[in-house]
Amino acid sequence: MDLAMYTDPSVLTEILLQGLVRGSMYALMASGLSLIFGILGVNNFAHGELFMIGSYTMFFIVATLQLPFVAGLVAAALVLFLVGMLIERGLIEQLRKRAGRDWLLDSFVLTIGLMILLQNLALVVFGSNRLGIPEMVSGSLIIGSIIISYERLIILAVAALTVLLLWAFIRFTAPGKAIRATAQNPEAALALGIDTMRVHTYTFGLGAALAGLSGALLISIFPAYPTVGLQPIVKSVAVVILGGLGYVPGAIVAGLLLGVIEAFAYFTMSAGWQNVLTAALVVLIMIFRPYGLFSSAKGERP
Amino acid sequence: MTTWSAVASADWRLSTLRVLKVAALLALLVAVPPLADNPFITTVFISALMFGLLGAIYDLMLGYAGLINFGYAGFMAAGAYGSALAWFHYGVNPWFGLLIGGAITAVLGFLTGVISLRIKGLYLALMTFFVGEALRFSISNTPDYTRGMLGLTVAPFPDMLGISFSRSNLLAYYFTLLLLGAVIMMAMWTLVRSKIGVAFKALREDELATESLGLNATHYKLLNFTIASFLTGVIGGFYAHYLGILSPSPEEFGVPRTVEVLTITYVGGRGSLWGSLFAGFLLIGFQEYFRGLGPIRLLLFGILLIIVMLFARRGIAGLKKYVW
Repeated sequence: MDLAMYTDPSVLTEILLQGLVRGSMYALMASGLSLIFGILGVNNFAHGELFMIGSYTMFFIVATLQLPFVAGLVAAALVLFLVGMLIERGLIEQLRKRAGRDWLLDSFVLTIGLMILLQNLALVVFGSNRLGIPEMVSGSLIIGSIIISYERLIILAVAALTVLLLWAFIRFTAPGKAIRATAQNPEAALALGIDTMRVHTYTFGLGAALAGLSGALLISIFPAYPTVGLQPIVKSVAVVILGGLGYVPGAIVAGLLLGVIEAFAYFTMSAGWQNVLTAALVVLIMIFRPYGLFSSAKGERP
Repeated sequence: MTTWSAVASADWRLSTLRVLKVAALLALLVAVPPLADNPFITTVFISALMFGLLGAIYDLMLGYAGLINFGYAGFMAAGAYGSALAWFHYGVNPWFGLLIGGAITAVLGFLTGVISLRIKGLYLALMTFFVGEALRFSISNTPDYTRGMLGLTVAPFPDMLGISFSRSNLLAYYFTLLLLGAVIMMAMWTLVRSKIGVAFKALREDELATESLGLNATHYKLLNFTIASFLTGVIGGFYAHYLGILSPSPEEFGVPRTVEVLTITYVGGRGSLWGSLFAGFLLIGFQEYFRGLGPIRLLLFGILLIIVMLFARRGIAGLKKYVW
């Protein structure tokens, strides 16, 4: 490959932009996963299946009912908020009563069971067809030699807006404060009259809603089918590890970072090796910085 | 946590009744496939036994030392491809290939153990997961050497002792696996009942206390992981030559495969070794037998795993006191 291409500013800008779009998807998906881990100590491996339910919801709202895209996004977030709360009350809370010091591992395995259950339930109900929507809007933004589709720009904007809203919710509202208190010290929060059980429930709902929104938003890239969640979950787990388990701001930055790294990798490496690069990166981080690139706020030893 | 080890290691008295029960089960394993003389039954038995064995090996790590390998399918791939590629490129006899598959996977397990020394539990699961995925993607990215997603055609075992190992002779494959399985189970059984096995359990219960008693936790972790990986590689090698075609798809060597083995171990009962064999026959037998049911049979895997986590935390082994 021509070496001059690497120093061409317009090429670099385009890769960077593509990387940020890709990274914003990772950040959106991973922030929910990280939030759930930070508050509940559950590494929710069924997060990809919540993504899958989100894409099915989007498909039925937009393709079947012919409603606008915004309705699909809102519906997906709402449906998953309910599903998430149901999962927390019905399964996670039940396990909390029974599991002891092996909580981290046991809850992880429980969500693996949930993953298989939801995947095959979808297969029974919807079949294995890929139900996709071509694109929300057509056309591309062209600035000089940089071409980027409006579709991708909308994804970037919605993701950025959602992450901003999430931050404002956690920072300024009363339930957000309860979430932060529970993350810092569950016993003290409980002693101060915060219903931590309720915090668990709506935090899981919130995390699930973020996964559902990702699924709905990305339907033109990931059509709805039963195992669509496998790829997003692997990427988001990678992002959450890179950012520090349970540290939401870390997940957002790590998501953008991984997006840019992968965009450069797609440009410079032959196809297929990007996945190896991502996996190797995660393994290296786990060896040398098990708390992630950005030290976890909890500072908990793995 | 403490109870399931107690159940597993408690009373193994050689009562006559117990010997009879074991003999009866063994007789079933030996007699049913040849008497049924039905290729379908034999394939179901091979799958069930193979996954039961993998579940038991997984249990050696998970149930006895508290080590969880969530990239397990990648380790199976190392064994399968190790043996298959040794034959494909260098003409190595597949019988010897089983050992090569085992050795390659053992090295992989040792190296993974070395880089995972500082972490445990969920973190170990995540680390091994990405090791497994990196391996699987490396296989699919090197089609010149491994044929990648095109699929690698693997030779059957060569004939031995006058027995034909063409793939139509399924019974030969079944009895080879049964023999292999007997050796592996006896080896693991001896291991977990030896001093080393006691150290494994101590490690699982409380790593800090174990170290303070002067046992080198790192040493035992590495030993456990390496032995289990070796055995996985041997079964992986058998799988390659039995199946005849390998491809690094997720279903074959990715998350779904790892989850299958993990479910068998959890349903069989952690720390019970033999429970996994029963779970293998129950789950895989059921799955293969009801292929016509389609995806509903896989629903069972998820539901069973959830039930085991929530209600029956000792799995099938928890039923032992009622039926054994």
